[in-house]
Amino acid sequence: MESAGKGSYVLANLAEVVERVLGFLPTKALLRAACVCRLWRECARRTLRTRQRIAWVSALEPGPAENHALVRALARELEKVHVLPQTVLYIADAETFSGHEECHEQKKARKRNSKETALALEKLLPKRCQVLGLVTPGIVVTPMGSSSNQPQEIEEGEAGFALLFPKIDGVKIHTFHFSKDVKNRIFDESKFAEAGLKNNPDLRVVLLFGYNSWKTGATRFLHQIVNPLNEKSIILAGGQVESFTSLTSENSHAQPGDACGVVGLAFSGPQIQSATVLLDQDVADERTAEAAMQRLKAANIPEHNTIGFMFACVGRGYRHYKTKRNMEADAFRKLFPSVPLFGFFGHGEIGCDRIVTGNFVLRECNDIKDDLLHGYTTVMTLIHLGSTKANQA
Amino acid sequence: MSLSENKSVVFAYESSVHSTNVLLSLDDQRKQDILCDVTILVEDQRFRAHKAVLAACSSYFLSRIVGQVDADLIITLPEEVTLKGFSPLLQFAYTAKLVLNKDNVSEVCKCAEFLGVRNIEESCFQFLKFRFLDFKLDQQECPRKKCCTQRFQKANPKTGNVDNGDLEINYEVEALLEKEYSQIPDTKPCKDEENAKSSPVLQNNANQNCDLVHLERDSASSLSSQCPKYRKFQKAFGNDKVNTSESSSSIKDVQVPPFATSLEKEIPNNDGIQKAQECVPMQLISNCEETQVEMEEGQEGIQKKEESKRDSVTQNVSCPVEKMDLAAFPQNSAAPHGLNSVSILHSCEQYGNLNFSSMQNNTVLAEKTVSSTGAGNDKTESQGNPSSKVDLCIREATNITSAGDRSSVEREIAEQLAQGFWSDIHSTDACQIHLPPSKEYSEPSYSGKKSECPWLGIRITESPEPYPQRTFTTLNSVNCPFISNLSTEGCSNTSEINSGDYVQGQQQEQCPYNYVISLGEDSETDTEGDSESCSAREQECEVKLPFNAQRIISLSRNDFQSFLKMHKLTPEQLDCIHDIRRRSKNRIAAQRCRKRKLDCIQNLESEIEKLQNEKENLLKERNHILSTLGETKQNLTGLCQQVCKEAALSQEQIQILAKYSSSDCPLSFLFPKREQTAPSDSELVVPASVESANGLSGVTPTAEQSSCYQCVKSVCEATYEQVQELHPVPARALEQTSLLEPCGQSSGITDFCQQMTDKCTTDE
Repeated sequence: MESAGKGSYVLANLAEVVERVLGFLPTKALLRAACVCRLWRECARRTLRTRQRIAWVSALEPGPAENHALVRALARELEKVHVLPQTVLYIADAETFSGHEECHEQKKARKRNSKETALALEKLLPKRCQVLGLVTPGIVVTPMGSSSNQPQEIEEGEAGFALLFPKIDGVKIHTFHFSKDVKNRIFDESKFAEAGLKNNPDLRVVLLFGYNSWKTGATRFLHQIVNPLNEKSIILAGGQVESFTSLTSENSHAQPGDACGVVGLAFSGPQIQSATVLLDQDVADERTAEAAMQRLKAANIPEHNTIGFMFACVGRGYRHYKTKRNMEADAFRKLFPSVPLFGFFGHGEIGCDRIVTGNFVLRECNDIKDDLLHGYTTVMTLIHLGSTKANQA
Repeated sequence: MSLSENKSVVFAYESSVHSTNVLLSLDDQRKQDILCDVTILVEDQRFRAHKAVLAACSSYFLSRIVGQVDADLIITLPEEVTLKGFSPLLQFAYTAKLVLNKDNVSEVCKCAEFLGVRNIEESCFQFLKFRFLDFKLDQQECPRKKCCTQRFQKANPKTGNVDNGDLEINYEVEALLEKEYSQIPDTKPCKDEENAKSSPVLQNNANQNCDLVHLERDSASSLSSQCPKYRKFQKAFGNDKVNTSESSSSIKDVQVPPFATSLEKEIPNNDGIQKAQECVPMQLISNCEETQVEMEEGQEGIQKKEESKRDSVTQNVSCPVEKMDLAAFPQNSAAPHGLNSVSILHSCEQYGNLNFSSMQNNTVLAEKTVSSTGAGNDKTESQGNPSSKVDLCIREATNITSAGDRSSVEREIAEQLAQGFWSDIHSTDACQIHLPPSKEYSEPSYSGKKSECPWLGIRITESPEPYPQRTFTTLNSVNCPFISNLSTEGCSNTSEINSGDYVQGQQQEQCPYNYVISLGEDSETDTEGDSESCSAREQECEVKLPFNAQRIISLSRNDFQSFLKMHKLTPEQLDCIHDIRRRSKNRIAAQRCRKRKLDCIQNLESEIEKLQNEKENLLKERNHILSTLGETKQNLTGLCQQVCKEAALSQEQIQILAKYSSSDCPLSFLFPKREQTAPSDSELVVPASVESANGLSGVTPTAEQSSCYQCVKSVCEATYEQVQELHPVPARALEQTSLLEPCGQSSGITDFCQQMTDKCTTDE
């Protein structure tokens, strides 16, 4: 009785002790614990603020059919993650994301299913978090746990991942969405400013994903977006995806529909360092792939608190590398042993060879307008989100 | 109180553009030579700059400048700093922008390191080195650009300088390409300073070579047959170099003018800076001369390195690498210098000889080969055997005399070529004119050589034949501005070699750019390549394959592997096959994707149909219900009438009754006046009321309704297309039944379907 009283005294008054104890809790448990009393709430808030590492949830193995593997994985793993996600980028494969039933008969059901899956995912995430969801033909994902796990290229089959970005000091992540307006032929520049893509000196990296790219005029539209961005000293990377399923930053809850458009993430912050390389069509064996990775390595981007993105063409993958699977991901892992790699196989890529750090920018400067849209290529991008003490946690 | 507060408030104005603008104006000052207080000498070129700026940007300049009181300081940079490496750095100091390309990146990197330039991060150099290395690898890989003979030359001096024998001994003919390239990264970093000094010139060479590769890339028959030659040559070259560095003294420039006017000139060589003054022999094909001059320049670089501290004599020996050499060969073989060098010399000369035939066809090609010959000669000569020198001279003299009669014939040919060659018409006549002589000359040399160096013999057998064709394809396919430039220079600059040389140097700097750009475009078309070009390429490859491409594509993976094992294929064929297979697979994948989309569209269409059917069923049901409703109403009316009759109600009573009953009530129909004033809301029932008012039974209304029903029924049975056709009929029927809404809907559906079909067609 006596000791219990002492214990409760300690837990109700000594912030250091409470903070230490709460530090072991995953975010969801921490938020529940925050409801206990004012002291705990303060401690929980402080603890949360120090958690600035990126976390991710990945789903690799198909499971029972009622739900997409990513939904299950996210539901399970969100209980365990140590970050409070503020921005989430999830990518799932197009085949299974929209449901398992035969698509010949129940088209309606299938469509609803895709939306439902997206909703189910969004429901799992905190309300105020920005979610950008994409579905693509294939997925590149690093299994959960250690960031040095072997990344997998999954060109077929059920897979997905969700990258959870917490609030990171000095880094701002915006989601944006521009869709082609049939009535308005001229692109509205003011939308750029809204998305933080204009008048933003700290802008470093923009990940762009075009959807419905098979539409007529989609390429032109994409050029309209990419070209003004390309004039800046920023990293541009991305690709053409099948469609995007969720984007909660917009209340209208815009759906892809018939129009083509671009969604994306804009990373801004002076501490961000990033580099990107383009593996073109000639890169078709282990040696050349590794040479390209070495180039990326030579950019000398710090490897902790860094994520790698790989946007490849559906035409690449194991067929391109003479039936050797996982070639590019392996080459990446070989040179970057502790950087998690994420990405997809899409219908086209956006990118080039470029380095952007706080100190310098290295880019091609040809007289001819360089085109960032490619096919049959792979774009590899490293994004380093700064090295604050809190990241070491 | 408030006053003192105001005093303590301090504002700070901070301009974000100031630093940039200061730098800009400093750059302007530099360009206009205002306030510049220092002159920097790099490789004889003067740069004006500001002490303060240089000291602020570079630790080297800081240490050199601080403490100097001289008003107009002149700093001569040591030879580690090259012009090519320094000028971008100076620009960086004033503009914060460093322009790097394939040629200058390594030198800029070295210079930046040496000068301690601040704010340049090593990683960018690393990145670019990998990038350009990668580029080269790509080059080599591409099966269509298989011949990289010129690249060997590029690798040649570098590898030769650093590590000689070991690597080169290991060469295998097959592994040659690979080795060569793997060597480049090794040698680059460990290039010593001497090398660094000579490298710009060498790179000049390399640039030219690149360009040549570009030129020749399109030619169907490649120069790959030459590769072994180069390799051997290089090997010997490397060995020679070792010797040279050990041994001493004099280096000769061997000139290769088409005419055998050999001129010797002795040039004092002071402090390693050598001004080569060339005595210009008469030239017919001045292009040849020019490349040679460039070779000399390259040699100067090497010379500088080797003889930096010595006073030595350089001799420019012009030796004709022409047919006349043939005559010299027997003599040579008889000569007592049975060293490597002699055989190499032979090979080189003979090589030049062989190529001379091609030179007549294609000067560009000849330039390359001749230049290499020149290099080879230089090297051999640099062995430092004075006697061999003399021997050479003597031999030349004999050559001159012996070839005197031939030269007139040759002049004719050459002139003919000089005229006809650069004109747009590349007639085969021109080819034929000089083909025989070239053969003729090469063959004796071949026989003469055979006993001495067997590997030479192998080469010779294959080379004479393909040359004319090869060069012609090159000429016809490539319309390079470089060629025309050369020709014009050749006309004007016969006497002024030096100036022509400079011009050429400039061109070479530009050329790799063109090369890169055109390459980029090429690959772009490849990536975007439509099926047409794809198939064209496949067919092209197919020609070379022992089986057709269809088979490659159709086989399963395992079968394919075993199939490949079964056939003995060359690596390039393998590449080609894999390429075909990959492409076809991709195409199939794309087809599948398209099919999926079409399936999707089809599904949507069938869904539309289904929904339409459903809708029609519902309409049917509705009509059915309506008709039953009408019947019920009629019954009701009948009943009402009966009741009224039985009760024998008066008119007023009926009126009152109607007033209190609802409008739907059939009672109201009994009252004709009301029907007139306010037509009931259901038009369907109107006829019934009229009829009933007239005292008739409700037979006709039902008949009418049933006709209506039939109409709707026909709609139900109609398929989507029929709906379109029958559209007016049901519309009218529906109008009659006041069902305007479904009509609009159906038209909406047809529109939608049309849209879908349109989409299908456009998608395809």
